[in-house]
Amino acid sequence: MATALTGRGLAFIRATPNLFPSRFPWVAAPQQLSCLHTSALLEAPRWEQKNRKVYPPQLPGEPRRPAEIYHCKRQFKYSKDKLWYLATMVKGLSIDEAIAQLEFNDKKGAKFMKEVLLEAQDMAVKNHNVEYKSNLYVAESTSGKGKYLKRIRYHGRGMFGIMDKVYCHYFVKLVEGPPPAKTERTSFDAAKDYVDELKRRTIIHSL
Amino acid sequence: MALHMRRTLLSLHRATSSSLKPPEPLDTRCPAPLLLTVRTKKRYFIPPRVSLKGRMDGNPEAKARAAGIVFRQEYVERPINIACTAGVFDPYIPPEGDARLSTLSKEGIKQRTEQIRQSAASQLAIRKIKEQDPEFSTKTFAEKAQEIFIEAHNALTNFNKERLHFLVTERCYPEITRGNRYKTVRWKFLESLEPPRVVHARCPDMVSKGNLYGQVTVRMHSKQTLAIYDRFGRLMMGDEDLPKDVLEYLIIERHLMNPYGSWRLHGKIVPSWAPAKDPVIKTVSIPGPELKPWEEFDAENYEVPKPAAVQWYK
Repeated sequence: MATALTGRGLAFIRATPNLFPSRFPWVAAPQQLSCLHTSALLEAPRWEQKNRKVYPPQLPGEPRRPAEIYHCKRQFKYSKDKLWYLATMVKGLSIDEAIAQLEFNDKKGAKFMKEVLLEAQDMAVKNHNVEYKSNLYVAESTSGKGKYLKRIRYHGRGMFGIMDKVYCHYFVKLVEGPPPAKTERTSFDAAKDYVDELKRRTIIHSL
Repeated sequence: MALHMRRTLLSLHRATSSSLKPPEPLDTRCPAPLLLTVRTKKRYFIPPRVSLKGRMDGNPEAKARAAGIVFRQEYVERPINIACTAGVFDPYIPPEGDARLSTLSKEGIKQRTEQIRQSAASQLAIRKIKEQDPEFSTKTFAEKAQEIFIEAHNALTNFNKERLHFLVTERCYPEITRGNRYKTVRWKFLESLEPPRVVHARCPDMVSKGNLYGQVTVRMHSKQTLAIYDRFGRLMMGDEDLPKDVLEYLIIERHLMNPYGSWRLHGKIVPSWAPAKDPVIKTVSIPGPELKPWEEFDAENYEVPKPAAVQWYK
């Protein structure tokens, strides 16, 4: 009965995840999906790679390019729909304001988001040559769907449903500079645009 | 089909304590409908049952060993080639005021005519180097060292990793390239103000006696321009059009025992009396003094601590 396993020995057991199935089956290599519209944010870690883009040196006459810092937190236990509300709340605010709002928000996602923002601010000052840590604002902030775990939810009469244990990602982009002024769109502007659209129409096959 | 489905489901939930009443036949309760809608679609995916029982207790290794599986002895070995020393042995201490005095004054001439023959250890080291490498000569070596220096820095600006590894030792490589990955460096060597000179030499041996490495220090006085741009193309430090006089002490090393070894830049010596570098074009916050809860920070009388003037070699 004693089988001699050649090769790496004990490391073999550790390496093959299927011998003793763990709780998290998705730790193995992600499947290659063949359809076109796979989630653009997760296929390759593109959001992290955006921090690697290097621009050529600016000429002396050009206006100073504002620094952009991309950061994300992957696969944490929260719902993407619930996180979306917080993400849109934070969009467009300056970083101090955003952190303050999230600190006093009761939702679970607010704690994760605050960590991400603080980390991104720290990264900006240390690695991306941002001068003042308060001189940043949140340009983009989105939530994404992570890989779900599926479990059984027991119903009556022997029926069952498949319950999703939801995980999500949070993406944020900080830009250097004061936050852009929010332009209030009045009803007069809307009316003006409507009238311009009417005037722009081309009528074909007419006299 | 539905009955089979139900049966499999019931077997699934046998462990749970849910009451399993047999399904009541519909006839006794209400009249049988004409159409009995049954769920006939097969569920392709039933998620696996997760039980915490057998997971955490006992490690799989002990279980495998108990089961009788024998593993071969694991050898975790890898040969490492050490091609350079870890630091600078017996660094050269440059005399105070080097390159500050003009060559026409008496002190200046004395400094300039300081020949390497003064130091006996250096002479010994050079003799050892000449044993291994017969083409070595202090007169031509300085020029070669300067060429290596210029080529290494040019490779650094283009970030040509392979070329850089040829010209710079493994110890020097991370120091030269740290933080430069996402930055653009523009460096130009304009001219050499004084001919480079060999000032110091040592021949340490690492690990085993006889494994000789030669370290030669070369003094260079030259004009260079340096400008560093950050990831977004903004100027971080320096100026492209402003040439600066730079006095440098370079350490060039070679693994003498290795017939294919080559002279490579190993480090630089920054003397303790070197003038401070130009500041970075941005405001940096320095950590303030540690205060107790009842103390207040006195901004007017606070003196920013200056680093001690120590010679350091990179």
